[in-house]
Amino acid sequence: MDSERIFGLLVAQIRDTVPDLETHPIARGDVLADLGVDSMERSEIILAALEEIGLKVPMVDLHGPRNIGELADLLAAKSGG
Amino acid sequence: MSRAVGIEALNLFGGTACLDVRALCDHRGLDLPRFENLLMSEKAVALPFEDPVTFAVNAAKPLIDAMSETERARIEMVITCTESGLDFGKSLSTYLHRHLGLAPNCRLFEIKQACYSGAAGLQMAANFVLSATSPGAKALVVTTDISRFALADGNAVQEWAYSEPTSGAGAAAMVVSDTPHILRLDAGAYGNHAFEVMDTCRPGPDTEAGDADLSLMAYLDCCAGAFDDYARRVEGADFRETFDQLCFHTPFGGMVKGAHRHLMRKHYKAPPNDIAADFKARLTPSLTYGRRVGNTAGGSVFFALAGMIDTVDLSEPLRVGLFSYGSGCCSEFFSGVVDAQGAARLGAMNISRVLDDRHSLSIDEYETLLSGASAVRFGTRDAKINRHLIPAAWRDTGGARLVLDSIDSYHRNYIWA
Repeated sequence: MDSERIFGLLVAQIRDTVPDLETHPIARGDVLADLGVDSMERSEIILAALEEIGLKVPMVDLHGPRNIGELADLLAAKSGG
Repeated sequence: MSRAVGIEALNLFGGTACLDVRALCDHRGLDLPRFENLLMSEKAVALPFEDPVTFAVNAAKPLIDAMSETERARIEMVITCTESGLDFGKSLSTYLHRHLGLAPNCRLFEIKQACYSGAAGLQMAANFVLSATSPGAKALVVTTDISRFALADGNAVQEWAYSEPTSGAGAAAMVVSDTPHILRLDAGAYGNHAFEVMDTCRPGPDTEAGDADLSLMAYLDCCAGAFDDYARRVEGADFRETFDQLCFHTPFGGMVKGAHRHLMRKHYKAPPNDIAADFKARLTPSLTYGRRVGNTAGGSVFFALAGMIDTVDLSEPLRVGLFSYGSGCCSEFFSGVVDAQGAARLGAMNISRVLDDRHSLSIDEYETLLSGASAVRFGTRDAKINRHLIPAAWRDTGGARLVLDSIDSYHRNYIWA
């Protein structure tokens, strides 16, 4: 799955997990913590995205991205897309 | 049926003083939704006359007092489990041995692996009992950890802030034997998951450091991995069906909630309502004491166990699944059986009442402690302890409680106060 599709999927999961962000614009350069998403919610978003992509990788392998775009790129690379 | 082994007696010690976590979050300007996610109400805060030895001895003393002379003489091993050691060579177990008046034919040592230390200690003791190299012998396993707030300066306090609301203090003492009244372990039923990661650590004598996101990720990976290894060893094991209750290592309740959700999604694709109902039924009882002391590190899974036993209906024996995680990292999922007889024995320790008796610190008193002026640092050679830095917190227990009195050429002197 390519990075753009994964980004769209992450945005949907973010809005689903944090209802306050339902109408808030979310860009690739945004940082989840700066949007008010706490660490528990961040892990929830990533796990839900992994489930949807059908990707099985350790969570610790997904540590490091500095913003949502980088997270989408990393997930795309891991999923071979 | 496998040979009986497990926890014969259990007690907790959650300190002499505590702090209202909501008041702390308000004081620090942390927003309330985050506070609610912690699932915490109080945290234990160690006073200047409390250290890992006093916590450990005060947890263990009621267990030792309840034993007969003959039973006490069968304690042939004392394992302290801690990441709050006082010396690189001498283990805390030597101080425990002295102040609990144990027999000299005894193995004394310490185990370190962050918050996993307690489970490691329990398993080492259980395997000593199962080996039957000394039939009928007992082991005393004591987890003891206090958060390192004796920090160098204001910047250090700021660096520590990420974990300040959840960092607690506490000790869990267990007698492990072949008469496991409190928790009969399912011997051989366990699973491990371990790998090297730098999530949280104690890199210096009085410092803590860490990455909360990475630690959460490692915890989630380990919870899933350790259960998978358990299921590989135990035919027919099912996360939802096999265990009546669950007790997880609890840095804060929200983290347990996340791990539970992860397993319920991974194994059953359970919808949110089912996950919430299952969490309430099988994990909420385990948060009873953790939410009153904060993260007790090595002891946290046993605080969870005690809280569960003290609150659920045990008219029928229940199988409990336990998960321990220690940063760095190593983890274990294991199980055992609890029953009404064990609940009666644990009830005799009055854990809840002892927690109620703690002094509730004001924010000003807490800040006085945090400034570290009276704290005894790692490696202190000589000191006389100020017992009355927080006068209202002092408890005259008529000799029932051990306190640190002084340090003389690195040797810590304790008295019963």
